[in-house]
Amino acid sequence: MNAIVALCHFCELHGPRTLFCTEVLHAPLPQGAGNGDSPGQGEQAEEEEGGIQMSSRIRAHSPAEGASAESSSPGPKKSDMCEASDSQGVGDVSFLTGGCRSLAAGHPGYISHDKETSIKYVSHQHPNHPQLFSIVRQACVRSLSCEVCPGREGPIFFGDEQHGFVFSHTFFIKDSLARGFQRWYSIIAIMMDRIYLINSWPFLLGKIRGIIDELQGKALKVFEAEQFGCPQRAQRMNTAFTPFLHQRNGNAARSLTSLTSDDNLWACLHTSFAWLLKACGSRLTEKLLEGAPTEDTLVQMEKLADLEEESESWDNSEAEEEEKAPVLPEGAGGRELAKCPTESSLLSDCANWQPRKLSVFKSLRHMRQVLGAPSFRMLAWHVLMGNQVIWKSRDADLVHSAFEVLRTMLPVGCVRIIPYSNQYEEAYRCNFLGLSPHVQIPSHVLSSEFAVVVEAHTAPRSSLHPAGCEDDQSLSKYEFVVTSGSPVAADRVGPTILNKMEAALTNQNLSVGVVDQCLVCLKEEWMNKVKVLFKFTKVDSRPKEDTQKLLSILGASEEDNVKLLKFWMTGLSKTYKSHLMSTVRSPTASEPRN
Amino acid sequence: MPFHVISMSIVYYVSLGTYDFVYLHEDSFTSTLNFQLFFLIASLSSLLITPFPSPSSSTSSSSSYQRRWLRSQTTSLENGIIPRRSTDETFSLAEETCSSNPAIVRRKKIAISIIFSLCEKEEAQRNFQDFFFSHFPLFESHMNRLKSAIEKAMISCRKIAESSLRVQFYVSRLMEALGEFRGTIWNLYSVPRIAEPVWLTMMSSTLEKTQLCQRFLKEFTLLIEQINKNQFFAALLTAVLTYHLAWVPTVMPVDHPPIRAFSEKRTSQSVNTLAKTHPYNPLWAQLGDLYGAIGSPVRLTRTVVVGKQKDLVQRILYVLTYFLRCSELQENQLTWSGSHGEGDQVLNGSSITTALERGEVEESEYVVVTVRSEPALLPPLLPPSMAEGRSPRPEGLDVSPEGSDIRDLCSKPDKEGHRRPEQSSQACSMGFQEAGSDSSWKPQGTFCGEEGSEKEVPRDSSSRLSSCEGLGAGAKVSQQTVSEELKGEMPRKLTDRSPAWPCPDRHSWEKPPLEKVTFQIGSSVSPESDLESRTKKMEKRLSACRQYLELPCHPSAKPGMDSDMPQDPQVSRCSFTPGFQNNVHCPQSPSCERDEGESERDFATDRGMKTEAVADAAGQPDQSADSLAPEGRAAGAGTRPLEETRRLHLKAAEGPLMQPVPSRCAQQASGFSGTADVPCGDADRKASFRMEGDIPRNESSDSALGDSDEEACASASLNLEPSDDRTEGSLEVELPLPRSQSISNPNVRNFGRSLLAGYCPTYMPDLVLHGTSSDEKLKQCLVADLVHTVHHPVLDEPIAEAVCIIADTDKWSVQVATSQRKVTDSMKLGQDVLVSSQVSSLLHSILQLYKLHLPADFCIMHLEDRLQEMYLKSKMLSEYLRGHTRVHVKELGVVLGIESNDLPLLTAIASTHSPYVAQILL
Repeated sequence: MNAIVALCHFCELHGPRTLFCTEVLHAPLPQGAGNGDSPGQGEQAEEEEGGIQMSSRIRAHSPAEGASAESSSPGPKKSDMCEASDSQGVGDVSFLTGGCRSLAAGHPGYISHDKETSIKYVSHQHPNHPQLFSIVRQACVRSLSCEVCPGREGPIFFGDEQHGFVFSHTFFIKDSLARGFQRWYSIIAIMMDRIYLINSWPFLLGKIRGIIDELQGKALKVFEAEQFGCPQRAQRMNTAFTPFLHQRNGNAARSLTSLTSDDNLWACLHTSFAWLLKACGSRLTEKLLEGAPTEDTLVQMEKLADLEEESESWDNSEAEEEEKAPVLPEGAGGRELAKCPTESSLLSDCANWQPRKLSVFKSLRHMRQVLGAPSFRMLAWHVLMGNQVIWKSRDADLVHSAFEVLRTMLPVGCVRIIPYSNQYEEAYRCNFLGLSPHVQIPSHVLSSEFAVVVEAHTAPRSSLHPAGCEDDQSLSKYEFVVTSGSPVAADRVGPTILNKMEAALTNQNLSVGVVDQCLVCLKEEWMNKVKVLFKFTKVDSRPKEDTQKLLSILGASEEDNVKLLKFWMTGLSKTYKSHLMSTVRSPTASEPRN
Repeated sequence: MPFHVISMSIVYYVSLGTYDFVYLHEDSFTSTLNFQLFFLIASLSSLLITPFPSPSSSTSSSSSYQRRWLRSQTTSLENGIIPRRSTDETFSLAEETCSSNPAIVRRKKIAISIIFSLCEKEEAQRNFQDFFFSHFPLFESHMNRLKSAIEKAMISCRKIAESSLRVQFYVSRLMEALGEFRGTIWNLYSVPRIAEPVWLTMMSSTLEKTQLCQRFLKEFTLLIEQINKNQFFAALLTAVLTYHLAWVPTVMPVDHPPIRAFSEKRTSQSVNTLAKTHPYNPLWAQLGDLYGAIGSPVRLTRTVVVGKQKDLVQRILYVLTYFLRCSELQENQLTWSGSHGEGDQVLNGSSITTALERGEVEESEYVVVTVRSEPALLPPLLPPSMAEGRSPRPEGLDVSPEGSDIRDLCSKPDKEGHRRPEQSSQACSMGFQEAGSDSSWKPQGTFCGEEGSEKEVPRDSSSRLSSCEGLGAGAKVSQQTVSEELKGEMPRKLTDRSPAWPCPDRHSWEKPPLEKVTFQIGSSVSPESDLESRTKKMEKRLSACRQYLELPCHPSAKPGMDSDMPQDPQVSRCSFTPGFQNNVHCPQSPSCERDEGESERDFATDRGMKTEAVADAAGQPDQSADSLAPEGRAAGAGTRPLEETRRLHLKAAEGPLMQPVPSRCAQQASGFSGTADVPCGDADRKASFRMEGDIPRNESSDSALGDSDEEACASASLNLEPSDDRTEGSLEVELPLPRSQSISNPNVRNFGRSLLAGYCPTYMPDLVLHGTSSDEKLKQCLVADLVHTVHHPVLDEPIAEAVCIIADTDKWSVQVATSQRKVTDSMKLGQDVLVSSQVSSLLHSILQLYKLHLPADFCIMHLEDRLQEMYLKSKMLSEYLRGHTRVHVKELGVVLGIESNDLPLLTAIASTHSPYVAQILL
């Protein structure tokens, strides 16, 4: 809670004084606190640093009305303070501190750490920060002079935007030596958040009144003991309180410690105030929901978890490792594998050395430019439909970059990459397969309509690719041939998403960032359709006619769209599937409507 | 009728104060029936002060998290204050002619006081008070309205020359304003609410979620079918989604997995953490959510559904509560060392607990009645420096290595402590009552032990129980059942138990009580804290080394606490065999040592074995203070206490296992964060503890007794050394926070439940959502209301625009009225809403899916997915707007699937995550 709680006292000699004050120090920034992108935050952080320095400087120079200055210099000045001298040498600590002081001279103050929240609660007589010092000082003066509840004991609220808002509760403490047998105190809570303070009113009132009641109770006992003690007690009392009696004419204020006869009073108040601040700050909490993660996020996390498991199992059995390695879905392991041949091919290919980064596809749009629109469309079609995409090239890096670009068209769950292999892998193992040029592809694959082969031949230097990639020398040395068993008919409409993607890629006015976001949108949109279809067909097993209806509702009744949805269904996260399966099993969910 | 506004008085405030705003509440919690509320609104010179640019107007992201974080920062006091806008609470009584030069205007001060007279029923009183304090921003806003009305009346009445007429005019205007104020407040309090706002109910109750989904979807689809023929419903939903933007954060995809069920969204952890580390006002956050004030620029939106068909209007309202989202609030009651869950309104009340206990020797039962009150002053856990500052410590060093009897240590208080008979008889209660005295850390220790037990009992109880023969089976059963089943009631039990602590122990050490009924009367007003106890306390402080030695002894309280698990702690404790008691009561020795030296000595002599343990324990820390800290750290793991317990059972309470209590507590705390238990201790403390061990007597706080002046100076000068950062904090004496438990109560009075209203008799200005039969009053008030909302924002931050969505089911129109644009057409309240095709297609597909008999909860999942799509589209749009090239809107539709009618909706959504969008479009 952003508040300061303070105990104030109206001293007969000095007027309103702040006795004890508990502040809250928060950790500068919570973990994950925004991205720090707002300029305001930076400023605040700087300001904070300044504040800290300031406060330490202040500590040294102490504008605290000489309070801390005095505290640092024991000596004649003390008599000026509202303190009873230790002339009798009684030795009670409370005798050392006077009515205008809380902590003994030189006492460093108290601090409490709240580990869970990393909030610190610090108590001193005055706040160290000069601005806060004056705020507390002003609130103290007002609470013990003008802003007083009728009857002089009770709660009141006052304040303004400049000096903060104050909840103040004034009260009397019995003192047999004081004028009118009582002294006037207040406990104040200062906040900048007016609404919060008033929202907390009933809470603060209850808790502060509880504290006050106990202080008053303690003081009353001391008072009664002093006033009406039995002879034996009176005797002891005489020895104990002689110093006070002598000083009565001076009306020296007794410290609250002696008034309540509680030596630990300040520690006690610190704990109470700190707890009050903590309890008030955590009194109300809110539950705020955030959106579900996207399917891509889920699948990625699942893959990561699988990978961890696998890497664990690798440790156990190395034999298994070799078997599994090529099948690895992309990821850390897959990349590792991808790099090795890359390196070797580069080394072997010294004559043809190029900076690696150049010989890659940068984006779908880039690929579309390089391949040419018709080839790209055919390739994209196959990609979206889940057909096997085989790239043959000497340059594994190139293949790798191609896959990295192409995969953005698909949900993460639909992507199975074998980046570079020396033998043909079956389609069920991967829909993206990189091969070195000499690898033989089985003829049934070559003639299949469910596979597309992209071959990157080294083109003669002279024939530069026309598609406006003059700066891109590395790719210009290649010639790409896209072939498939059954070429896509030119008049086929194709899946809706492909057309939209193509439109986005074609439009040069849209930046790469927009296209990326567009892809995300399109994928999520279609994954949402996939979810419904999955629920409908796999979980609920609804009849064909209904499915047709559903598909038309989803705007996906065309054959290509249906194919696409069916392929994409394989990319649904396990989490999602198992959730749907489990809810259908639960009786309440399957309860028929109407 | 729970309250009346019985009177209003206007006072010319004469004196020269500096107030801007004073509010006084003379409460009536106990006696009077009147609930008075004075607003003193006055000012001297706070004229035009340039408003500080509020965070909302800055360019930061205004997502829920950012909003809350900034709020916490702007209201922070840590580094001085950030000056904020000044609310002009001034009465401007200047006539318009002079107001151009405010410097020469003499201002009068005026106060308005409003007195609420509450009815006699206490519950009604409390309800209203709760309502008042939680809904204060609204009250304040209406006070401001009243103020403006009076202001206006004062100014305009001056133009009337005839004085009697003037007064008449003035008074009538005044009464009119008061009547309106009264009516508004009354309506605000009494208007019918939507019993189960869909979103909030779904969020909180998981039990009937399916039914809830079904009901909502049934209503939803019905509306789509029936009233969307002319796109009415789509328009309404478009408007609601455009302006009440709090739904956006609830669909923003996160990058961490859902915890459990898929359909259940997860609560935002980052916001949760923020609330803990940088508390802000959740009520404020909720209000902002409801009004949709999370975009940029900040707009404050309300929705009114007008229509003669009550049933239809109510349906619409019900369905809209799914889309009008906000956070759910719960109230947590933090209790230290376990106090009540219920009866929270008891401010200083004492609780009486009765407990059936089994007699220790005879197999009979007696009743223990405990009267106690929760002390509001929290006893601090005294830092070790307290003890270190005192001379006896070296003595302890001498004694303990020799392994001598603990009596050497314990006899001291006996010599010095003039034990009094009445003290010994009642000392146990005194030990508890003396909050803040030396004994005060005891409850903490108690607490510690309990955690230990709670953690261990399920796992270890059987083995432990078997190790101590003779323990009643009943105790065992209750131990386990209680720990497992009644965990939720722990706080309550702790309450019951803690006061009862010392007594049974004493009984068990000493002779069993002759009386069958033990009354423990404990209250903060202790009969013991007289002079004697005071002097005794001084003596106790003199012998503070004992306390220090006792600290390490204390951790062994854990086994004792195990027996504490049953509802009635004393049942099991008293049924223990002596063999077990040794271990059980060893920990309690500190508390009683302090209070009564004799019992301690008895205990020491009678129980030889235990004495050994204590001596060992006591000796260890003195051998080297430094070794304590590592030990304390080592004990953090949950297994350690367990092991320790076992070893204690073997009476092998060797030193290494002993840790000073405070760090122990911290360890326990971190280990036990199971339920709502909040660890408060801090591991850092160990470091400081060690440091104190190295530099003894440097920071003895209250122990001026042992302090020489030099020391005071030394530490003072240390203090004054300009340390460059807050490491100076480490100089402060560290006191651990008391352990706390929090009891949560979801049914707090909050805006989410109060501002979503049903079918009201008339138009209401504050409600986020309500229905009404005619727009007559709406037409009268709307413009003024919107203007007022902008001028006196209830959110305590400047807002750019006030918006009201008016859906008229009679005319089938949806209009948006704003404070910014003046509507030229007098027939119209606002502008017609463009129906977003995104929304239409969403409605269409939900309806079709429903018709295909997809389960309701799946349909709702799909609905959320579709909303998420909108969010993603808005991301795309903001990305597009960030670039410089523009394409034709038609192209945008072809390529991005964004149509022109979607643009207002999508830009509004985008403004919640990308504030620059608004700037680009403006």
